[in-house]
Amino acid sequence: MATGMALGGAPAHPAAAPPPDLPSKFTPAAYANPASRYGPFATPDYYTYADDLVIERNQPGKPHQGKVLAAIQPHSDDIPLYAGGAVAKLIDEGYTGYLIRISNDEAAGKTAGYGVVQNEIDNHAVAKALGCKKAFSFYYRNHRMDDCAEIEIRARLIFLYRVLQVNTIIVMDPYNHYDENPDHLVAARAAEAACWMAGGGKDYPEHYKAGLKPARVREKYYHARSPQGHNLVNRVVDISSYIDHKVRSNVANKGKGPAGAAGARLRQQLAQEGRKLPSLGNDDETANFQYVKQFLMDDWMRLGERFGLQYAEAFRYIGPEPNYRENLRKYVDTNAVAL
Amino acid sequence: MSTPTQLHSDGQIVLEKDRPGQPHRGKVFAAIHAHLDDLPYYAGGTVAKLISEGYTGYIIRTSNDEKCGGRTTAENILSNEQDHVRMARALGFKDVFDFYYQNHEMDGISSIDIRGRLILLFRMLKVDTVISFNPWGHAEENPDHWVTGRAVEEACWMCGMPNDYHEHLEAGVQPHPVTERYYFYARPGQPFNRVVDVSSHIQKKVDAILECKSQGGGDSGSQLRARLAKQGKRLPLLGNDDRTANREYVRQFLLDDDREYGKEYNLLYAERFYYLDQRRPEKSKVDQYVEKNAVSL
Repeated sequence: MATGMALGGAPAHPAAAPPPDLPSKFTPAAYANPASRYGPFATPDYYTYADDLVIERNQPGKPHQGKVLAAIQPHSDDIPLYAGGAVAKLIDEGYTGYLIRISNDEAAGKTAGYGVVQNEIDNHAVAKALGCKKAFSFYYRNHRMDDCAEIEIRARLIFLYRVLQVNTIIVMDPYNHYDENPDHLVAARAAEAACWMAGGGKDYPEHYKAGLKPARVREKYYHARSPQGHNLVNRVVDISSYIDHKVRSNVANKGKGPAGAAGARLRQQLAQEGRKLPSLGNDDETANFQYVKQFLMDDWMRLGERFGLQYAEAFRYIGPEPNYRENLRKYVDTNAVAL
Repeated sequence: MSTPTQLHSDGQIVLEKDRPGQPHRGKVFAAIHAHLDDLPYYAGGTVAKLISEGYTGYIIRTSNDEKCGGRTTAENILSNEQDHVRMARALGFKDVFDFYYQNHEMDGISSIDIRGRLILLFRMLKVDTVISFNPWGHAEENPDHWVTGRAVEEACWMCGMPNDYHEHLEAGVQPHPVTERYYFYARPGQPFNRVVDVSSHIQKKVDAILECKSQGGGDSGSQLRARLAKQGKRLPLLGNDDRTANREYVRQFLLDDDREYGKEYNLLYAERFYYLDQRRPEKSKVDQYVEKNAVSL
């Protein structure tokens, strides 16, 4: 496993020995993540850590009461796999959460028809498992979103940000290097651009005549997509207390992804062979839960360990801008002199 | 004289005359055009008539008109924007919407984006009737026209379908189908099946054209008057002030088509449309059959 220094030479948080084959004149700019032992769907190959990285821990009470979170995913399994813990945490800390799925997930299923129906059900179940108030789906064709008009997806997100009064989004990183799924990049770009346009008066002014208000989307959590990702990370969220929420949201994904009923299938397969794994318990529900927790959460556990946490998720976090106008006013108040 | 393209499906052209009272009270129409001067010329009289008969009217301009106005691109956008508000007021529209897509370049925009915006407006305003370009009208050389017409046509039925843009429900905006359409007769040879008598509304049409100063000839009269004055001449028709000159110029020179369309029906002025009626009867054929034939178990 290669480790190194953060971009810019600042010391990275995880201390480790330098990589043996990297000549000393080079400063590593990225850290390889430990490869998963059980599946490909978790942390990406590399993270680049910023020198102002923050570990976001549990906050007591409901500090986010009154705020609205939109978790946006191209497919029904994206948020559960990559950010389910953080979504559950933020909702538990007071956010009202909404889940927005952009594709119709038709590429996962016995037929396209069966696929879209099962994934539609799953999307609602994921929202429920994470504590979201409501789930939306845009139903663009799966794996073909680079054929969609990005401006139209963006317009729909602007509408939703405004009607739901979204403050914060969690979405795939629009700068996911090496991401081979076009749906990810299209959805993420649309979600990012919609954030600031939703606050303006000139974009889609007809919304205001329909009674909508500008949305002030001030915070963004961008998550990576494995395994192709090579992502800048400046926030590690401690999801240890929410790992079971994350597990349940993954179990909810019956139509696609590595979780769903995989535990029950393994249990049945072993039973046919006259064997069993004690950790999978004695029924399908337990088997599904334990399978996901033991095998699919492995990467999140390994990531957490590097920061002294039980489980963690990593994000590129973009927070509110400073209040430039207020700062300027304060400067003027302090420094202005009589003519 | 009728040609095959001018016939209604039953072989008739319907003549729509003034109707007494307010037969359209409670109904809403949206007039969707691409440029400042489209609607006033193609349907200004009909708009005035429908509003006088009870309709609430809204106007939607899809382009930014940046290419027309004789000034810089930026100044053209501003002057057309201001003219559009004044023109809409002259015809009695309740509200004005502008989408500002780039003039003459609308065939490059996302058709689904403009359609989505129209669907929201049709639902939000509860539009029953649209007046716009015929998306299938031949000889249409302006891409803004057919792009607008196609988006309008598609939006008309989709806005009644709950699964299209279902997120609108979150804002309390309900599906609402558009059931009547008046398509402009915009170019010679385009089909029409309805002739609207606008004789008693022609003054409103003139008033609307007068506001089309950036484009559409609204100040042509005053310009001609000024030019003649420099030559030491005048046209008595144009009167003694710019307002009179503009109005009389429009009346004398810019309404020839309307006069021509009316002649055949002994009308002073008329406008032509391809009209589509998709209103459903109160009782469907099945309802009527059940009513007549159902027996007790």
